[in-house]
Amino acid sequence: MMLPRLRFRSLSRKLMVGVLMTSLAALLVTGLALLAYDLRSFHERQVGDLATQAEILGRSTAAALQFDDPKFASDSLALLSVRPSIRAGAIYNAKGALFASYLHEGEAKASLPALPDIDGYQVSGRTISYTRRIVADGEILGTVYLRADYEFYSRLLGYLAIVATVGFLSLGVSWLLSLWLQKTITQPIVDMAAVARQVVERRDYSLRARKTTEDEVGYLVEAFNDMLSEIGRRTEDLERFSAALQVEIAERSASERALRVSERRNRTLVEAASSVVWTADRDLRFVAAQPAWQAYTGQSPEGCAGEGWRNAFHPGDIDVLERQWSLARSGDGAFECTLRLWHAASAAHHYVVLRAAPVLDGEQGILEWIGTIADVDDRHRAEAEIRKLNETLERRVAERTRELEATNRELEGFSYSVSHDLRSPLRAIVGYSQMLEEDFGSRLDEEGRRLLTVVRDEAGRMGRLIDDLLSFSRISRQAVDAGAEVDMTDLAREVAADLLRERDPTRVKLDVWPLPRARGDRALLRQVWVNLLSNAIKYSGTKSLSEILVTGESNDGIAHYRVADNGVGFDMKYAPKLFGVFQRLHRSEEFEGTGVGLAIVQRIVTRHGGGVRADGRPGEGATFHFSLPAGGGDA
Amino acid sequence: MHEGGEVQILLAEDNPRDAEMTMRALRKIHFTDRLQWVRDGEEALEFLLGQGRHAGRDVASVPKLILLDLKMPKVDGIEVLRRIKASDALRAIPVVIMTSSAEERDIVEAYDLGVNSYIVKPVQFQDFIDTVAKVGLYWILTNRAPN
Repeated sequence: MMLPRLRFRSLSRKLMVGVLMTSLAALLVTGLALLAYDLRSFHERQVGDLATQAEILGRSTAAALQFDDPKFASDSLALLSVRPSIRAGAIYNAKGALFASYLHEGEAKASLPALPDIDGYQVSGRTISYTRRIVADGEILGTVYLRADYEFYSRLLGYLAIVATVGFLSLGVSWLLSLWLQKTITQPIVDMAAVARQVVERRDYSLRARKTTEDEVGYLVEAFNDMLSEIGRRTEDLERFSAALQVEIAERSASERALRVSERRNRTLVEAASSVVWTADRDLRFVAAQPAWQAYTGQSPEGCAGEGWRNAFHPGDIDVLERQWSLARSGDGAFECTLRLWHAASAAHHYVVLRAAPVLDGEQGILEWIGTIADVDDRHRAEAEIRKLNETLERRVAERTRELEATNRELEGFSYSVSHDLRSPLRAIVGYSQMLEEDFGSRLDEEGRRLLTVVRDEAGRMGRLIDDLLSFSRISRQAVDAGAEVDMTDLAREVAADLLRERDPTRVKLDVWPLPRARGDRALLRQVWVNLLSNAIKYSGTKSLSEILVTGESNDGIAHYRVADNGVGFDMKYAPKLFGVFQRLHRSEEFEGTGVGLAIVQRIVTRHGGGVRADGRPGEGATFHFSLPAGGGDA
Repeated sequence: MHEGGEVQILLAEDNPRDAEMTMRALRKIHFTDRLQWVRDGEEALEFLLGQGRHAGRDVASVPKLILLDLKMPKVDGIEVLRRIKASDALRAIPVVIMTSSAEERDIVEAYDLGVNSYIVKPVQFQDFIDTVAKVGLYWILTNRAPN
């Protein structure tokens, strides 16, 4: 229980406690031994003293007893007053009756016992009593009784006080001693510990513990200092070494960086250089070093030496090379071929153009070969890419064409059933209302017949709408043969003649001036003239004389045509609607028509790559312009 | 409708309205009593070949004119035309296609197969009547066919 606590005490404290404990223990043992010895001799001396007194008294009073002279005995007893420590004395006769007595001042007579029956001493409290027979000539004469202060305890206390005092003194001395010990023995160690702590904290190995003695502690301090200087030296070495290492590392990483840069530069150079120059002997063997070749292919000088250079080509291309080479050898000529060569930088075969030319000697023929390698991989790849793209494109075009053809077929099927299925019921409506009129007309009144006529007319109009719509859609999907040369003067005049055949010649004046030839589909262009001229006739019909003029000219390969009339004209703000399907600017009561004619014109002209537009003012006539690719011969 | 005797006109037409109008037009020129109307291409062939519904008919007696619609159920007009022109016995019979279709490809195909005439049925009744009458008169009366 004390040990653990001791463990944490400082060395000086331990030393002090040790010294104090040791001296205290020695002091206690010595003191107690002295005490025991002294008390014992004190006791014996006191008993012996009392016995001697009693003997003396016995002898001196024996005669008094024999002569029964109490006065003498009392005088003898009174002599005891010189011994103040004897408090009382008494002499008893042989019968045990008190013969004489002595009492010290202050002592009560009653304190004397009646007859002491024991022989010897008795200690009771702070008194000691002694009883002795008075014997003379073998006859017991009486008894002597003495009582004295027994000072054993006061002596003990005094002794203890002395021991305690001495103990304190010796402890003080021990403490001083231990202080001195501490100074001489522990201080250097404590100093050393402080130095060690500082060294640990400050990492300063130049610190030293102070050596004050030449004993073992001094040796310890010396060893400690030696150790410190050794550690300091090693640390210094280590630090120097580490600094050197860091410098070395920095140098190395700098050189590595430089190496990397130069390597990258080399690689970039090799990659960038699309041309490699090489030389070979007359048998196409590499004899000299080929730095460019090696850089490109990554072959070692030994690897490409002799015929080794061929290994850098793609195995599948060796045959091509051999063939070219044998051809060239027999013809003594240069050769060139495209091959796949290993490209070390990209770790892949690259397409290259190998060119080789013989260096000729006047007499001996081929002296050696010199050649180049041109990297055409990018071009090759791009070409392949383009090829692939083209294929994709063609495939897509084919797909689109197929889709369009399918759509066209669908449209054709649709318009076929429209033309067939929609017209039949119309024909029946018209036919049956006609039949009704024929067979039962006599029974109908005028209003009934009028209503029947409306039915018939409307059905007929619907039939024309369907027909026009069908022809419009036919023109849209019909193939245009736009390559033929068309004499537009002839065509326009022909159409005009057809249209005027059933007209009153005095009411229509239609002039077709010489027109430039056009390039296009004659049948479709005829439809253009039909629609434009019949429109012109129709919308100028309100005049007493319809005047229609067709003119045209050609420039820059484009033929322009105009059809001008003096008819009702139109408001220019409606011009954009003119060419729409089923778009009409007039009520059908005013002018017959379905509103498809101009849409057909526009469609045909557009499909020829031309354009169409109209000018007009209400009541002042209209002019329709259209253009087409011009034909060869001009009018 | 034909009732015994020699058939002069075979009308193949699935639309009864068109058929009636055709017959009305022909009646105006007094041809109806010698007309056979069939409702589809199949019956037209059966009539011409003396089979099916017309089994036992004297096939040696051929009509002087066949009016043929193109769009008919079962066997269409083009197929009937093909079979007629492929047959030695029937090839000489004049075939006039009367149809609603003004499709160029129909016209081309019909002529390729040897059609004698191709007529687009006019929507206007009067035109229709006139056309049918003209066709009837021409092919029955004007035209000379081998005997």
